[in-house]
Amino acid sequence: MLERVYDVFARKHRGDQLAHIGYVDALDDEMARVYAWKTYDEEHWFEMCVIRRTAIIPVNRQDGPFTGLTGEGE
Amino acid sequence: MNEPLEIRDLDGTGMSALRRLILTLADSKRMMGIRYSDWLLGAPSIEAGIAVSAMAQDEWGHARLLYAMLKDVGLDPLEVEHERPGEDYASVGALDEPFDHWAGLVAAMTVVDEAISVALLGFSRGSYEAARTRVPKMLAEEEFHASLAKAWYRRLADSSHKGRTLLHDSTERLLPPVLAWLGADDASARAMVVSGVTESGESMTEVLRERLRDLTALVEVNIDRAQPNSGWDEDRARGPGRPDEEAIERVRGDRNRALLVE
Repeated sequence: MLERVYDVFARKHRGDQLAHIGYVDALDDEMARVYAWKTYDEEHWFEMCVIRRTAIIPVNRQDGPFTGLTGEGE
Repeated sequence: MNEPLEIRDLDGTGMSALRRLILTLADSKRMMGIRYSDWLLGAPSIEAGIAVSAMAQDEWGHARLLYAMLKDVGLDPLEVEHERPGEDYASVGALDEPFDHWAGLVAAMTVVDEAISVALLGFSRGSYEAARTRVPKMLAEEEFHASLAKAWYRRLADSSHKGRTLLHDSTERLLPPVLAWLGADDASARAMVVSGVTESGESMTEVLRERLRDLTALVEVNIDRAQPNSGWDEDRARGPGRPDEEAIERVRGDRNRALLVE
């Protein structure tokens, strides 16, 4: 069973900027939802979402964590 | 919606039935928390360990809120939480023993935690005001437990032969005590249905079957054929057995309560 990396974004209040707050490793989207909610529970978040790291398209850099090749069962 | 229940209008039988209903829910929540806590270390990933740790906290928080309702029916929650022997616990029998493997916990998360949520849903729709106001937040938190349970159940059902077999066997073992607990139809359970405090065991069992039918079918367990186990003890509000002593010592905090300065 291969885990993927999911990046976690959240905002504390309606109207706040959505901020990158961390990541989780998970076997699928559903597990990623729960892991993110339970792992990053230090705040009372207004909104949280997760995205597969492989779905992020880098714009100006090809050497950061979001290069598209990371996170697929690594 | 039912008219709000007036506790002072309950006769002795009604009071004792409400006391029992609260205890079955609170004790089951507490034991569910213990079974999650057994896997804080040893879960398949750090994230899974963090999730069960948070779920253990949820269960204990829910149990605490439910025990607090006992004040309404003349019981001291502190005494109930810290001084009872294991044989007095009205928890669902499926949680009496720890689970030897992750598949066992996944089956419990799916079958037992869901059954407790179905019982709480019935309680939250009834006439007891404290349940109507406090239980919905518990159910909202439980949605994450159900999501994780389903995701892991599907994953294991689609894994190795060993994984599927362990999940199948665990599901088959857990269903009978769960159905006996949720579907209890003794005098006390009926009194709570008549008073509008909760829903009938039969209807709640049907809700559980509906929620789990497709999932358990993945490991060839036909939930419609599963039957409650025998030996329901009306006085103890549970089937045969009792939670293991080590778990009860942890529940009561025996070792460390001795350090408290009164």
